[in-house]
Amino acid sequence: MASASNPSSANRPVSASQGHGSTPADFLKAVLGRPVVVKLNTSIEYRGILACLDGYMNIALEQTEEYVNGELKNTFGDAFIRGNNVMYISTTKT
Amino acid sequence: MSSKHSNPVPQILPLELVDKCIGSRIWIIMRGEKELVGTLRGFDEFVNMILEDVTEYEYSAEGTSKKQLEKILLNGSNVCLLVPGSEGPEKSVPC
Amino acid sequence: MTAQTVEQPLDLVRLSLDETIRVKMRGDRELRGKLHAFDQHLNMILGDVEETITTTDVDPETFEELLKTSKRHIPMLFVRGDCVILISPPLRTS
Repeated sequence: MASASNPSSANRPVSASQGHGSTPADFLKAVLGRPVVVKLNTSIEYRGILACLDGYMNIALEQTEEYVNGELKNTFGDAFIRGNNVMYISTTKT
Repeated sequence: MSSKHSNPVPQILPLELVDKCIGSRIWIIMRGEKELVGTLRGFDEFVNMILEDVTEYEYSAEGTSKKQLEKILLNGSNVCLLVPGSEGPEKSVPC
Repeated sequence: MTAQTVEQPLDLVRLSLDETIRVKMRGDRELRGKLHAFDQHLNMILGDVEETITTTDVDPETFEELLKTSKRHIPMLFVRGDCVILISPPLRTS
């Protein structure tokens, strides 16, 4: 109720209220230079070191391995992945 | 009175509901045959989401595959539906 | 900016100008060619291109899936960015 009648709360960016340090931007800062799994909408997975990324979720990976149905199919030294194909970026153990 | 619009219906923005889900379990149904269940930790204006303790479900001709993920940044652009407070397909009530 | 730094994912593509790159495309296509030009959409001009198309046929008797690849050579090519999944530059020793 309070938020519905308070115009200032409707105007502020929704994510600003979290304050947990776990927005997508925070996550990306934490995960740069670390091993990640990038899953595409086609279910192909790329494992590698996250070199950098931009606001479109375009991604540069190093030491990239391509997995199709869990099988290693390809390796690339560097890889640029166009952001529109990305389903998620996940941290990995190891 | 305080509202610029003379709409008598109390307005809540859709994203305010998502904001209230932070810290709770959430079921996400993607465009295409994928679903995710996880704890929502944060999101941005594109509804890109940070999820923890995620179960990923994938449906294909070969059947359903299930995978656990510790923490992910989910791209918002292929999200179709969000179900707040749900434990997902395995706990949903069939009708 | 120094020439060899990758701060944005697109820098990876910029560093590959005039080099032979691999491009994974939607529709089970892969290209190998020399990168002459690109823009922020990943529209690209490639020269001396080898295009590989992978198709799956089902054997009508055994119902086995057969992977078939066909290749062709194209001297000069415009690639529309929205078909691009991944770009891999040649291995650099740096």
